[in-house]
Amino acid sequence: MIYISILIGCVIGALIGMNAPVISYTYSSYLSIAIIAALDTVFGGISSVIKKNFDLEIFLSGFFGNAILSMALTYLGQKLNVDIYLAAIFVFVWRMFNNLGIIRRYYIEKWTSKFQNKIKSEKVEKNKSPEDIAE
Amino acid sequence: MKGKRILSISIGCVALILTMVMFTQFKTVEHTDIVAIETMRETELRAEYTSWQEKYQEVETKLQDTRRKIEEYKNQMSSQENATELLKQEVHEAQKNLGYTNVHGEGIVITLEDNSKAEIERFDLISLLNELKHAGAEAISINGERIVGNSDIALINNELLNSTMLMIHGKRIATPYTVKAIGDRKYLESAITIKNGFLDEMKAYEKDIHYSVEKEIVIEKYDGEMPLDYANKKEVKGD
Repeated sequence: MIYISILIGCVIGALIGMNAPVISYTYSSYLSIAIIAALDTVFGGISSVIKKNFDLEIFLSGFFGNAILSMALTYLGQKLNVDIYLAAIFVFVWRMFNNLGIIRRYYIEKWTSKFQNKIKSEKVEKNKSPEDIAE
Repeated sequence: MKGKRILSISIGCVALILTMVMFTQFKTVEHTDIVAIETMRETELRAEYTSWQEKYQEVETKLQDTRRKIEEYKNQMSSQENATELLKQEVHEAQKNLGYTNVHGEGIVITLEDNSKAEIERFDLISLLNELKHAGAEAISINGERIVGNSDIALINNELLNSTMLMIHGKRIATPYTVKAIGDRKYLESAITIKNGFLDEMKAYEKDIHYSVEKEIVIEKYDGEMPLDYANKKEVKGD
């Protein structure tokens, strides 16, 4: 059910986004930093699901809060003539890679354990059979 | 079951928003896919932008200057036509007043002549001029010499010829002296013929004098100069 809702959301969002009007180039920098923040939250959510400590409220507040905060920080940076959005991108991407690493490790461990189990079972079968024959 | 539904709906909404914003951004980036902008960094773009803005402002100020100048020229042109006309009139008037133009009109012609009994003297002419001026003569000439503001009647002793001569503007004049004056005929005539006036005086000294009042006399212009080398204009406040 969750996967279906994600799929439907993605399809509808893509359709709306394609038909949306083009925003001005000056504001696209805010949008891009918001996207990075949202993506970071999404990967964080996936990693928390893997860790089995996923909380919807934290996820939602992180999704919107991070996006809005990053936009506000970018705005402040432009007003102060400091490229704060670079720091924000650095932090978000670093966290994204951390979370991606967690996800990657989890799946690799899963797959390798599966594979090893398969080999073990095969081995067991192989070892068993001659004995059986012997017996 | 209920918690799962809320979870799935909220995550679907999150996915929707995220993809929507991402696709909008893709589209925006695609649309602003100018090679120059894409290869430039934002600071470079800003510098470029400010430089272009400066250029624009420079050109704008130039344009406004030029427009103002054009406006000024237009005003000048329209006022120049009037001004030239006015100036011409003024110059003409000034020349007329100074005696630089030929004038004609009603007036009086007086002829003075030496005879065997008496000569016409310098003071006769000067007092005649005074009388005429007092009677409102607007233009006077003696033997064709226009009398203007700086005119003089000089008595020169010529020792070689053992004689004297009269000069106006450095030009010698000789008898008979024809004095022409333009002005009100009656005033001029009465100024001469008044009792114990100029005419009586001349006759008392037995000097030859004739006069004729005429409707139309012509007085020629003064063709000398009126130098103002030492007299400088004094600036008066409010002038």
